[in-house]
Amino acid sequence: MTMRLFAVGLSHRTAPIELREQVDFSRAGVCAALERLAARNIAREIAVLSTCNRAEVYVAADADRAVDGIFSFFAEYHGVAPDDLAPHLYVHHGADVARHLFRVAAGLDSLVVGEPQILGQVKSAYTVASEGHFTGTVLNRLFHVAFAAGKRVRAETGLGEGAVSVSYAAIALARKIFGDLEGLRVLILGAGEMATLTGVHLRAQKVRHITVGSRTRGAAESLAAHIAAEVVDWSELEGAIEAADIVVTATGAPSAILTRAGIGRAMKSRRERALFIIDIAVPRDVEATAGALEQVFLYNIDDLQGIVKENLARRAGELERADAIIDTEATKFAAWLQSREIIPTVVALRERFEAIRRAELQRLQPKLNGLPPEAQAQVDHITRLIVEKLLLAPTEQLKAVSDNSLAASYSDALNRLFSLPSPDRSDADEPTASKPTGS
Amino acid sequence: MRLIPLVCYAAAAAAYGGHFAWRDARVGRFATALLGGGLLAHTFLIGMQTVQAGHAPLVGTTAAISAFVWLLGLAYLYVELTSEERSMGVFVTVLLVMLGIIPALDAEISRRPPVLQSPLFTVHVMTMLFAYASFALAGVLGVTYVLMFKEIKAKHLGFFYTRLPSLRVLDVMNGRAIAVGWVFLTIGVVVGGIWAMQVQGSQDPRAQAMSLGDPKILVAVLSWCLYSFALYARRVIGWGGRRAAWLSAIGFALVLLNFVPVGYFLTRSHNF
Repeated sequence: MTMRLFAVGLSHRTAPIELREQVDFSRAGVCAALERLAARNIAREIAVLSTCNRAEVYVAADADRAVDGIFSFFAEYHGVAPDDLAPHLYVHHGADVARHLFRVAAGLDSLVVGEPQILGQVKSAYTVASEGHFTGTVLNRLFHVAFAAGKRVRAETGLGEGAVSVSYAAIALARKIFGDLEGLRVLILGAGEMATLTGVHLRAQKVRHITVGSRTRGAAESLAAHIAAEVVDWSELEGAIEAADIVVTATGAPSAILTRAGIGRAMKSRRERALFIIDIAVPRDVEATAGALEQVFLYNIDDLQGIVKENLARRAGELERADAIIDTEATKFAAWLQSREIIPTVVALRERFEAIRRAELQRLQPKLNGLPPEAQAQVDHITRLIVEKLLLAPTEQLKAVSDNSLAASYSDALNRLFSLPSPDRSDADEPTASKPTGS
Repeated sequence: MRLIPLVCYAAAAAAYGGHFAWRDARVGRFATALLGGGLLAHTFLIGMQTVQAGHAPLVGTTAAISAFVWLLGLAYLYVELTSEERSMGVFVTVLLVMLGIIPALDAEISRRPPVLQSPLFTVHVMTMLFAYASFALAGVLGVTYVLMFKEIKAKHLGFFYTRLPSLRVLDVMNGRAIAVGWVFLTIGVVVGGIWAMQVQGSQDPRAQAMSLGDPKILVAVLSWCLYSFALYARRVIGWGGRRAAWLSAIGFALVLLNFVPVGYFLTRSHNF
């Protein structure tokens, strides 16, 4: 019996959020889930991938019925009625498992296509499984190729490129204008929700100097305390703009608080150092014509959203190239899997020939005994060589078969023609996923 | 033999172009290797010419262009290796190829006339060429700055936005290249002036044509004024960014004009 590869799971594509919350493996820990699944003894190798958008089990098993076992594990482990679960679960077999996992690792199956976190999540899912000795030859290879495929897609396509959220678009722009953000001075005007979010986000980007200004001094102080920033008095606004590299405006003012003339004056006294103004307020806080000033880069919320839209469109355009890479890698993996399937037959065939050779030598032993030892060794050597030569071409041909059904029929034919014993396991060195459950 | 550097530079330009378009790091490393190979071959060539002529091959515009290509290649390679930034490569290597064609077509090594047998002449040529190489880098940095600046201002982040380093990096590097180039240009012009005065008594008609009225000398002094203004404007008026970028692009256009058309067709004092 050869090894079969399955993936069973659900994702944001097939299941609503309520169900995804219910079957979240990470709640009790992936390790616990792996142990419970291993205890059922339905597969040789297992791995569990659990993110907020997907819950998947990857297994290498001896029999197709392992799928049913995993179905019932999903339902029983999470306490969900099988009938509620079944319509949302998908199953992948053999090479399709590789294609699916590679797509997942590359971010092609993510909610935001091309998002980079998923590769790390796939890696940690594998690390947990392999450290617990739940994986073996097949899953080890599957996941390692998945990491490589994910990296290739990232490196060779523009899939992960371009910010796809407004705040990241602003950060990316700031980096393109100033390079390093760390030493920059940021002025945040406003103390509402948007201003707070921006402040937290900038702190996360390691921006050191943040100043907050608001019409109501108290509000500015509480935001400043929240994000460890300084406070500037509203009356000293122009001075603060003079010192800043980035100005974020998010006040609730009904009309523009920064005029072109005011910014122009500040630009003169700051000797035309570049100034990046991010106006995320609606209605806008900054006069639109200020963007025409030489070293002023003015972006409002619509501009940023426009960039996000362009980036998303560009990512979609890269999908085809990414899929081509995934296809190549999946085909290579399928060929490897295939070459493994034929191995038991090859081994059995060689054992059969060797057995015949030994039996014949045994039968002739009385006659051979009369020969000098060197000649006896020679006979042994020649017979071994003949067997090797006879098997060389068939072995190579078998390993080169890439078609699934052809391999099966070759295997079957050889089993019958040479009456080979049907092997009940594919590899003697295969670790089993059923760990002794002491805990 | 004299075609090998040019072929390498052309191959490097193609590879840098591929790297710029596809952003494949392997193609980029390949491009660097090709440029390195071209420079090595070029070094051998210049070495051979030195042995052949008995002096550094710096006499005449063609030889000067060859030396300039070599210096610019080295200067760029140094900047690339220290900054790990390859996106300028395509611009610089295209320039190397365009200028490198001239010496590749003309194998003649000019003999050094008696009037040039002074160490001041070598210092003059070398410092001028070094200044020009710096200005070439500044010009490339300026052009790329303007290309990306336009994209960011137009709020249409496209081809250059995804491929170039930040505006500030381009601006800072531009400022440094101009400052270094200006120092060498100043030394070159001063040494040239001293040397011209020393050879005033010579019978060579070219020595007698050494005056501000000669196009080559006039344009060199004009470019010195332009770069001096660029330095002053950056430090005092705050003309960094796009204005400095434009100045460095215009400045390099002036340098190229002086180097090739003026050097070949107009000058009466520098036609060795």
